[in-house]
Amino acid sequence: MSPTTILLADIDEPGLATLEVYERRGGYQAMRKALAMEPAAVVAELDASGLRGRGGAGFPAGRKAAFLPQGDMDRYLVCNADESEPGTFKDRELLQKSPHMLIEGIVIAAHGARVNHAFIYIRGEYEAQARILDAALAEAAAAGYIGEHILGGDFSCSLVLHRGAGAYICGEETGLLDSLEGKRGNPRLKPPFPAIQGLYQGPTLINNVETLSTMPHIIRMGGAEYAKLGVSGSAGTKIVSVSGHVQRPGNYEIELGTPSREIIFGLAGGPPEGRTVKLWFPGGSSSPVLTAADLDVPYDFDSLAKAGTMLGSGAIIVVDDSTPVLDVALKLAKFYRHESCGKCTPCREGTNWTVRMLERIAAGEATPMDLDIMASVQEHIIGNCLCVLGDAMAMPISSMIVKFREELESHMESQQLAGAA
Amino acid sequence: MPRPTPNTITLSIDGREIQAPENAMLADAAKLADVEIPVFCYEPKLGQPVGACRMCLVEIEGIPKLQTACSTAVKDGMIVHTQSERARVAQQAVVEFLLINHPLDCPVCDKGGECPLQDITFGWGGGQSRFIEPKRHFRKPLELSPLIAIDRERCILCYRCVRFAQEISEDYQLILLERGAHSFVGTFDGHPYVAPFSGNIIELCPVGALTSRAYRFRARPWEIEGAGTLCTLCPAQCNVTLTVRDERVLRVLARQHDEVDDGWLCDKGRFAYQAVHVDERITAPMIRDGGELREVSWERALSEASSALRRAGARTAALAGAGASNEEGLLLGRLLRDTLGSPHLDSRPTGAVSLDDWRALSAPALSATVADLEFAHAVLVLDCEPVDDAPILELRIRKGVRRRHVKLAVATARPSALDPSGSHLRFAPGRGAELASALAAALRGEDAQAAAQAAGTTAEEVAALASMLREAGEEVVVLYGERLLDDDGGQALLELADALALATHGGAGLIGIPDAANGRGLREAGVLPNGGPGLREAPLESGRATPAIAEGLRNGELVALYLLSVDPLRELPDRAGWDVALEHASTVIAHAAFLTDGIREHATVVFPAEAAAEKEGTVTHPDGRVQRLRPAIARQGAVRAEWSILAELAARLGAPADVLSGAAASTQLFEAVPMYAGLTLEELGGGGVRWPEREQAGALPAPSAVNPAEPRKPRALAKARGGKLIAGSYRSIWAGPEVAASPALAFLHPHQRVEISPADAHRLGLADGVEMAVADATGTQIRARVAVRDGIPAGSAFLQRAIATDSAERLRGETIEIVAIADPPRAPPDADRAVPADSDSVAEAVA
Repeated sequence: MSPTTILLADIDEPGLATLEVYERRGGYQAMRKALAMEPAAVVAELDASGLRGRGGAGFPAGRKAAFLPQGDMDRYLVCNADESEPGTFKDRELLQKSPHMLIEGIVIAAHGARVNHAFIYIRGEYEAQARILDAALAEAAAAGYIGEHILGGDFSCSLVLHRGAGAYICGEETGLLDSLEGKRGNPRLKPPFPAIQGLYQGPTLINNVETLSTMPHIIRMGGAEYAKLGVSGSAGTKIVSVSGHVQRPGNYEIELGTPSREIIFGLAGGPPEGRTVKLWFPGGSSSPVLTAADLDVPYDFDSLAKAGTMLGSGAIIVVDDSTPVLDVALKLAKFYRHESCGKCTPCREGTNWTVRMLERIAAGEATPMDLDIMASVQEHIIGNCLCVLGDAMAMPISSMIVKFREELESHMESQQLAGAA
Repeated sequence: MPRPTPNTITLSIDGREIQAPENAMLADAAKLADVEIPVFCYEPKLGQPVGACRMCLVEIEGIPKLQTACSTAVKDGMIVHTQSERARVAQQAVVEFLLINHPLDCPVCDKGGECPLQDITFGWGGGQSRFIEPKRHFRKPLELSPLIAIDRERCILCYRCVRFAQEISEDYQLILLERGAHSFVGTFDGHPYVAPFSGNIIELCPVGALTSRAYRFRARPWEIEGAGTLCTLCPAQCNVTLTVRDERVLRVLARQHDEVDDGWLCDKGRFAYQAVHVDERITAPMIRDGGELREVSWERALSEASSALRRAGARTAALAGAGASNEEGLLLGRLLRDTLGSPHLDSRPTGAVSLDDWRALSAPALSATVADLEFAHAVLVLDCEPVDDAPILELRIRKGVRRRHVKLAVATARPSALDPSGSHLRFAPGRGAELASALAAALRGEDAQAAAQAAGTTAEEVAALASMLREAGEEVVVLYGERLLDDDGGQALLELADALALATHGGAGLIGIPDAANGRGLREAGVLPNGGPGLREAPLESGRATPAIAEGLRNGELVALYLLSVDPLRELPDRAGWDVALEHASTVIAHAAFLTDGIREHATVVFPAEAAAEKEGTVTHPDGRVQRLRPAIARQGAVRAEWSILAELAARLGAPADVLSGAAASTQLFEAVPMYAGLTLEELGGGGVRWPEREQAGALPAPSAVNPAEPRKPRALAKARGGKLIAGSYRSIWAGPEVAASPALAFLHPHQRVEISPADAHRLGLADGVEMAVADATGTQIRARVAVRDGIPAGSAFLQRAIATDSAERLRGETIEIVAIADPPRAPPDADRAVPADSDSVAEAVA
């Protein structure tokens, strides 16, 4: 275990999901502290903490909160709990075991951003978590922690739990907003960014569950203290969901900057006996894959970016040498084809085309030229779409073609030989 | 509210420095540099860009990713490359993506030759596809509606049609179903997309996915010509381009005029061109011979008509309506007044309006423009239903509300399609003038109790409307139905205009929707019983208004009637009275396109009416815009210019033969109407000229005297009692012989229905959808299907006017009763239904 745990420190405390236990463990103290502060001071603490968004894009949380225009209009805060990125299950644990930490974080963020209406958009499949959250919200409301005149003061903030209906695209912030408004969940054109024009056309702050759950700790510790954790550019701790071919899959809280090998091997136990790491996704299924050669890359935003990939949602998926890379690519492409909303051309057509090509490779009806076409199709998707869903398929597929071209070509060859025989 | 006046900035596109309005979208600004940036989903008419198709990706210096030109606002100093290597690769990629599932069946596609997908593929595509997998397949083509076919394989999912239904017409019928590569356009439940404006999606579609079922396979783009003119089926007078092949109109497209139609058309305007080429259209002169109308030579018809007119002399009356041009109106007035010495002519279906009221209501200061509907602080829809009376104005109002937050108030007797877009007030049918009085009183802070009661509403409701209008801002546009002006309603409206101080604020004013498509133009050309051209004093003593003309024919004081595009039995109130009047007339000369009841049964001479596509001349929009009609096709059959018929008759009766061409008729009009003085057809050009904005507008005579000392007295309100309901009527967008005669539209031609409130339905034990009879106080009955409609005030009932059978004009009086259908069932349907019930057979015949 990494020495510093913040989010998961109490996570296995029995009954932490109840208000009583949460408060006994010091819960809602940070909220009291924050509500006594000026909103600007709260944002300043966030800024000082260096916290970068934990949902995938890694945007500095303090700056995002400061973007919201002030003035006399309805502003909104939306907690993105539509955790749908394959391999990612950190928010689920937080929602399930420590819902009050999230609620407390939301109230703090809402106070900082001067927001009076907050929503939690939780993915449809998280039914059990939604029930737990519902109960926690009822407790918080009864205790006067959310709703009108929180703690008897001037600040009011409603908090509504909304369950999604199971589309990956609704985890994209603008698709989420459309869905929350009751529309088909399609991403919107940006700009305007949600901070300026989001939910119901009002300025909207959207944060991930983990980001918001960290806020009470930043207020408790002070931003400067929190910033001491981790490495420069990647402050704090991060929950990493490790899955795939490892002996101890699960959520591990690490200090950012921890070597990846320590996470995959040290914490998660590495691949099963006799197997070796073939490739790994460092930040969910959307991140370009790394290989065994990259295991010593420090696990933080900038180091992973330098390695040509990204930290994303912080989900490490390990694939060992027992699995053909083609299977991984096909599974992945099919997922994104299924989840593409269809609004923009490169994603709608490109994901479909990619699946068709991969299927042809699997069927032994392809030539190495098809790999070139496939690589080019990925290039044509990347950066040209309305949102990042297209890129989310194209980047890892692209990386697999580059890094495993030999394997893919030998697969074609063996298929063709088999066919000829 | 203030119109946006953007600053000008400088930017560079492909090395060319250009000036563009700040915040213009790059795709639009590029056109100023003669650079075309390809787009599919972008269409400024649809509102905010969506950036979905990604066709317009360009490189902007300083921004790492390629940007969509459709959604990027230009900024000063921006440097844009639309043809850099990166941009070109991305553009080629998008074309390749779009084509992988497109069937490329251009040789059999209607769009081929005028298809943006073809053009962009040639211009920006890579020329070769690398896609070798099987394409996506859908069943095709399918009927999206009886008017529109959808081919989902051709669809590139650009969202334009869906956005139109969501954001322009706001009928919310079209949606994207499924997602990703399986997405397709459809309606909820597969229900046909039938709506007043549905045809616009055909024109919006950048590929051949949405095609007109009426136009499918009729022509290829290289066989057709486009001819710009106007649609004169309703007062909105939309600008259109007619697609012509071999002297036949095959299609109607919008010809965008932001001050008139914003580039949209209603389905009537889009599809009723078919009525130009149906067999039942009258294309040769006819005279009544042995009780039957039969075709004769022009000479025979003209001499018959001229001798009949000579006999009748000053005992002749005339009515003009529908799309009769200003020139025809002027010549009709001359024929009646100067040649025959008769002052009896009118262009309104109901009672007279005083000349002073017309002058006051036409005053430039009180005259709002179509664009004002979009930029006003508030719009008051008063006693009219835009979607039925001037459809395209409804879209303008919706646009104002949606994009500029115009406050909308709907004050009507019958629930309006615009109700959900604003606040609404209901009053008793026919009480628009009383409502205007009450509202004026409330705005002045006076007691509106009595007036509100006379209008069939309450002082509270009127007060709420008044305060909403007052709080919205100074610029208020009142869009009213001209029937409101009956019985001195003009006074009430002027009171209201005064209370709102409409004359003192630019952007505020009135727009009156007349019954006839060119009602305003005919009035200004002098087709009024009490006014000559230019609303000057009539050269003779005041003549009879429409109802008095009927009376005169019945009592023998008048003996001849000249009908210029009016069928009294089809369009005017009191059908029974008109039936007698026409029976008594010794001569009925009619310009008509179809043998509707009155023409078929009573006309003694029939001259074929021109279709708008054949007509030359001018018409005047309700907002004062004089617009030009240009002939797009040769006149069909033996049809002659109608101005020439009027000129010829006048000449035969001794008038100087001084009108020898259509252009000469226009010149005479411009000379005769002082507000039009100095206009030329060239100046009118393709966009027309609003006379209230001209210097010569000052020539409009001022109201001659101070307003009458006695304020207008509210009329007593009939009471709904027992089974009696107060009857109101409306004319559906789909009423009219052109709709019935157009095979594509015939399915929409309305049957009578009586709309009642749920409360009355319950009280009277009537269920929605049952066939009943509707009886007036005299016992006359028509058949109607009961339609129980939320929002109808209890005590009111509404029937349709101007329909072929069982039309509301058959009933008299203010109240009706809904009764069981008497035995024996009704007489056989009126034969003037231009289309037999089995419209398919006609469709085949036309095809």
